[in-house]
Amino acid sequence: MKGDKVTLRDLLRIKEFGAIVGVTIFLVLFSLLSNKFLTTENVFNTLTMAAELGIISIGVAMLIISGEFDLSVGSVFAVAPMIFATMINAKYDPYLSLIVSLMVCAGIGLVNGTVTLKTGIPSFITTLGMMMFWRGILLAITGGFPIILSRRVDMLQYLGGKVHGGLRYSAIWFVVLAFVFWIVLEKTRFGNWVFATGGNLGAARALGIATTRVKLVNFIFSSVLAGFAGLTTFARFKLVDPTFGQELELEAIASAVMGGTLLTGGYGSVVGACVGAFMISMVRNGLVLAGAPAYWYRAFIGVILIVAAVINARIRKRVAG
Amino acid sequence: MNQPLVEMKNIKKSFGRVMALKGVDFSVGHAEVVGLLGDNGAGKSTLIKVLVGYHQPDDGEIYFEGKRVKFGSPREAREHGIETVYQDLALVNLMPLWRNFFLGREIVRRLGPVRYLDRKTMRRIAREALAEIGISVRSVDDTVAFLSGGERQAVAIARAIHFGAKLLILDEPTAALSVGETRRVLEHILEAKKRGISVVFISHNIYHVYEVADRLVILEHGEKIGDYKREEVTPQHVMDLIAAAAGVK
Ligand SMILES: Nc1ncnc2c1ncn2[C@@H]1O[C@H](COP(=O)(O)OP(=O)(O)OP(=O)(O)O)[C@@H](O)[C@H]1O
Ligand SMILES: [Mg+2]
Repeated sequence: MKGDKVTLRDLLRIKEFGAIVGVTIFLVLFSLLSNKFLTTENVFNTLTMAAELGIISIGVAMLIISGEFDLSVGSVFAVAPMIFATMINAKYDPYLSLIVSLMVCAGIGLVNGTVTLKTGIPSFITTLGMMMFWRGILLAITGGFPIILSRRVDMLQYLGGKVHGGLRYSAIWFVVLAFVFWIVLEKTRFGNWVFATGGNLGAARALGIATTRVKLVNFIFSSVLAGFAGLTTFARFKLVDPTFGQELELEAIASAVMGGTLLTGGYGSVVGACVGAFMISMVRNGLVLAGAPAYWYRAFIGVILIVAAVINARIRKRVAG
Repeated sequence: MNQPLVEMKNIKKSFGRVMALKGVDFSVGHAEVVGLLGDNGAGKSTLIKVLVGYHQPDDGEIYFEGKRVKFGSPREAREHGIETVYQDLALVNLMPLWRNFFLGREIVRRLGPVRYLDRKTMRRIAREALAEIGISVRSVDDTVAFLSGGERQAVAIARAIHFGAKLLILDEPTAALSVGETRRVLEHILEAKKRGISVVFISHNIYHVYEVADRLVILEHGEKIGDYKREEVTPQHVMDLIAAAAGVK
C-alpha cells in the first residue's frame, strides 16, 4: 500500500504539472530580467491579459478532451460583442442584449455540433467553415468599420471594468470560470463522460453514455465561453472591430496543449489550459518588460508550444500510457 | 420455473443484402455458460448485438426472465442486468481504473445543488471488487493503459459481477491473450458462474470454450447448425462440423 510519501509519479500524474513548472521557470527568468516583473501590479496585468484567451481556452480544452475541435471561437469572440453593441446602440436593454448575444453564440455552438455529429464530417472542417462564414458576415455587414458604443452602459463595468489598478473584472471572471469548469470536468459525472467520450468513443457508447449529447454540450460551452470572452474584451475597449479575435482559435488550442491536453482527445485539463493561457500572457508581458521588440513574442510562443507538447507527451506516456 | 434466462426465437437480421441471421433460436439457462462458436462472419456478434439492443431484429422474439423484451439500446439491456464485454470497447485506456470501473454509474454526493463524484468511495469499492475476484492492481489510480490484455478483461468482468449482472456476454475475450492470461480469464468465467451469473462466451478457440462451457452453440452463415451439451460432443467433432459447414457453402 502507498504511504504518505509523495512520489515523482504522483507529481507527474498532476496533468498541469508541466505547465506549472513552465510558468515557474518563466517567472524566475523574467524577474531576473526586469525588476518590474514580479510586482502585484504586473501580476494583475498579466492575469487580466490572460483572461480573454483563458476563458476561450477553457471551452476549447473541454471540447478537445471530448474528441472535437472548435476553430470558430475567434469569430464567435467577435460576433457576440458585435450583436451586443448593435443592440445597445439601437437602445435595447443591456441585459437583454447580453442574453441575446450569448444565445446566438449558443446557437452557433449547437449548429457546429449538430452538423458535425449528424453528418460525420470532422469538426475541424465544420468549425473552419463556421469561422470563415461568421468572419465574412461581420466584414460584410460592417463594411470593415468598427462599431463604437454610443452610450454608457453600467453593466460593462462588471464584465471588463477596472477592479483595482491593473486588475479587471475579466480576470475575476476568468478565475471563477476556471474554477467552475475545473469542478465540472474533474468532479462530476459529466466530466467523467467527457473523458470517456474522447478517450474511447465505442466503449463510452457501449457503457450507455450519451456521447452525442456530451459533445454537443461541449460545442455549446465552447461557443458561449468564446462569446463571453469577446464581451469582456469589448467592455474594456467599448469598441468592436470586425477583425476582433482573429487567430485566437489557434492561441486557445496552443494554451490547451501547453496545459497538457491531448489533441486526440481523452486526456487534458481545464486548469492546465488556463495556466497555458497565463503562460502566453506572461511571456508577452515579460518580453516587453525585458525590452525585447514586441515582434519576438510570436516566435517565442511557437518554440514554447512545441517544447511544451514534447514534454507533456513524455510525461503522459509515463503516467497514463 | 424451468424457463431459461434468455430465449431468442426465430431471430432474423439483414444488413442490406447480407442476411446475417436467418431465423436463429438461442437460449441461455440460469447460471449456465454457453459457448458460441462459428467461422468468421457466421453471425455470432450480430446475434448478441441483437440481444443487447445494439441492433433491432427484423423478425423474431426475445424473452428475458420469461418476459418479452425489446431493448432499444445497450443501456436498456444493461439496466436489466445484461453486461457485454467487447474486446476493444470495454475500457477507456487513458482513464484511471476507478473511473473506468464506475463509468456510466458514478457514485455521487450532493453538496447543495451540485452533485460531485465520491472519489474516495469509488476508489475503495473498485479496489475491493477487484480483490474479491482475485485481481491485484498496484493502484486504482493507474490508467488502464498499463494493464495487460488479460487484466483488462478481468477488470471488465469484475465490474459486471460487482454491478449485479445476470448475464455476462464476452465477445472473444481470449483473443490475443497468452496461455497464462487465458487461463485466468477462464477462471473468472467460472467464478461468475459460481455466483449464479449466466455467461455467453464467444470464441474461435474451441478448446477455451470447451473448458468452461456447459453448452456449445454453433452458428454458420446465419443459421444455428448445432446445439450440444458439453458431454455430448468432443472438440474434434465441433471443429469438423464448423469446417464442413464452411466448406459446403
Ligand atoms: N453493421 C453491419 N453492417 C453490414 N453488415 C454487417 C454488419 N454487421 C455484421 N455484418 C455482416 O453480417 C455477417 C455476420 O457478421 P458477424 O460480425 O455477426 O460475424 P461473427 O460471427 O461475429 O464473425 P467474427 O468471428 O469474424 O467476429 C457478416 O457477413 C458481416 O459482414
Ligand atoms: Mg464477431
